[in-house]
Amino acid sequence: MTTIEFFLAGTMSAATVFLLAALGELIAEKSGMLNLGVEGMMAVSAAAGFVATYETGSHLIGFAVAGFAGIIVSLVYATVAITFLANQVATGLAVGILGLGLSALIGRKHESLTVASAGNVHIPMLSDIPLLGPVLFQHNIVVYLTLATAVAIGYCLKYTRLGLAIRSVGENPHAAQALGYSVPLIRYGAVVFGGLFAGFAGAYASTIYTPLWADGMIAGRGWIAVALVVFGTWKTGRIILGAYLFGMVSLGELIAQSLGAAVPSQLLSSLPYIVTIVVLAIISTNAARLKLHAPFALGESYDGSESR
Amino acid sequence: MKSILKSLAKLSLAATLAGVFAHSAATAEPLEIGLLTPSPLADVGWSKALADGLDKVKAKHGDKVKINLVENIQEGPDAERIMNKMVGDGNKFLVLGSFGYMNGGLKLAKRNPNLSFVHASGYKVAKNFSPFTAKYFEGAYLMGMAAAELTKTKKLGVVSAFAIPELISTINGFALGARSIDPEITVDVVWINSWFDPAKARDSAKALIAGGSDVLFSNAQDTPSVVSVAEEAGVYVYNLNSSMKEYAPKKYLGVVKTDWAPFFMASVEAHLAGKFKGQNQWLGMKEDTVVVEDWSSDISADMMAKIKATEAAIASGEKHVYDGPLVNQEGKEVVAAGKRLVDGAILGMNWHVQGVNSPLPK
Repeated sequence: MTTIEFFLAGTMSAATVFLLAALGELIAEKSGMLNLGVEGMMAVSAAAGFVATYETGSHLIGFAVAGFAGIIVSLVYATVAITFLANQVATGLAVGILGLGLSALIGRKHESLTVASAGNVHIPMLSDIPLLGPVLFQHNIVVYLTLATAVAIGYCLKYTRLGLAIRSVGENPHAAQALGYSVPLIRYGAVVFGGLFAGFAGAYASTIYTPLWADGMIAGRGWIAVALVVFGTWKTGRIILGAYLFGMVSLGELIAQSLGAAVPSQLLSSLPYIVTIVVLAIISTNAARLKLHAPFALGESYDGSESR
Repeated sequence: MKSILKSLAKLSLAATLAGVFAHSAATAEPLEIGLLTPSPLADVGWSKALADGLDKVKAKHGDKVKINLVENIQEGPDAERIMNKMVGDGNKFLVLGSFGYMNGGLKLAKRNPNLSFVHASGYKVAKNFSPFTAKYFEGAYLMGMAAAELTKTKKLGVVSAFAIPELISTINGFALGARSIDPEITVDVVWINSWFDPAKARDSAKALIAGGSDVLFSNAQDTPSVVSVAEEAGVYVYNLNSSMKEYAPKKYLGVVKTDWAPFFMASVEAHLAGKFKGQNQWLGMKEDTVVVEDWSSDISADMMAKIKATEAAIASGEKHVYDGPLVNQEGKEVVAAGKRLVDGAILGMNWHVQGVNSPLPK
């Protein structure tokens, strides 16, 4: 594999971690729930998924367990923030920190162990095309499923009744309630979906992308996923692009170094974050545009009363 | 309400008394040794090497010592709080396992002159505070010799944490060893600017392999990420501190191991005898701290004999890795033939030797 092939192919697998988590967070935020605990949910699921894969030898079971673990953690957040109407930001942060600690506990006995990575698909003909083959058609199945899911989510949000219900709850819960939708129920559903996908992101990170468990291995990727949702202005297509851009930037830094480029590595290391800030700044220059895209009731608790 | 307060007061009095008695009974108790590590204790890696060193002290002294381990403590203010608590809990000999514990540990040492401290990778010394560092570059030099024989592309790759003198001098040792056998060899370095990011380490290793490196060096990475990538890709790999051969059964070049037991043993015994004296402890092959083992069987017998001879020469002090002539990346001579780089210059090394391609982050 040449450097350019590795760069493009690596981008696809690096982006998948961001994309999975960001998709979950997108749905939660679309329903008005700002869940900042993504990092913690990912860590718990990465640990749980790794332990399950290590003990059973099955990546599928690992993903199932990780998804389940993500759901459990997200339910803690949902209960406190939806049922008890606590501040969403504070709850999300608390659950995130709880998750980080919990992940260390779950993975305690499996610290620094490794599992075999799940194999990559091999599509006859397509995988053998020079350059394009290794770049596009030799990935783990999860990479493709994630992309397909992203497209499905984009479609669902835009064109289906369910998508409309989720959006209406996030834009104006009072109106949604008046239309007969149960705001808490839909928000629970959206948050749990977010937990499930953070779980998949964690499992992908600990059993496929870097098939080992080590405490702290999520290393801020959950936060990047949260930033990605804003970065993509709550639009699925832009989030996919953003995830690939972030994957490219985070990998490009390492490749530039391995090629001996005379750029300070500290600067390169902070590139993903610099890119986030720059793009956010550009988007925010037009406040109206940002507001237009952000779910109107994002971060607001809904207590069921008629008016605010 | 009053009665509750009263019973609380009674309780706390009882607790205080119990504490006093416990304390007076403690005189005949074992020496409590506290170990503070920056990463979780795994089967491999830096923290494990420290814990192993203390285990040998325990094995020798049995009931006379008791080891209390506190793992995965982030450097910073929280570490200071935990160190204070460890002293409060009765630990009399502290092993501080990371550079970032230095200032907090030093404060504590000055406040508690009867306690002894040893501190990893630091540079500050006090009466009862000894910094300790391993001369990893001695082992890396031997690894470079072995790599020079096994490489086909004549390119070696290093995945490294932060650009600090300890790691820079280790990379330079690796490059010098390799180029002592074959001067055409070059070394690529990727700095991931993190002690801990397995995913980044893994991608860096892949990038180096894609760029043509066929021997990798996992410099100060506590997880087996780089080692397992190398095995998958079929390139040789070595690492520091503790053996990761099980993660790369076919392609494991060897390990530059640190055995802290002799140093810990001597320090603990000095403390028990009341003779502990804080000083800079810079330990290498001579002190049996740096040990190279688990050599790959792919290395030829000829080369192995050369390596062993070099190892003996370094251990005896006859040869030094930083013997001149030394040339830096810009091609300028830093140390003339027949001269030797002074210790201070190695401890503060901020330049790469010729043959290292990557520029050093400034």
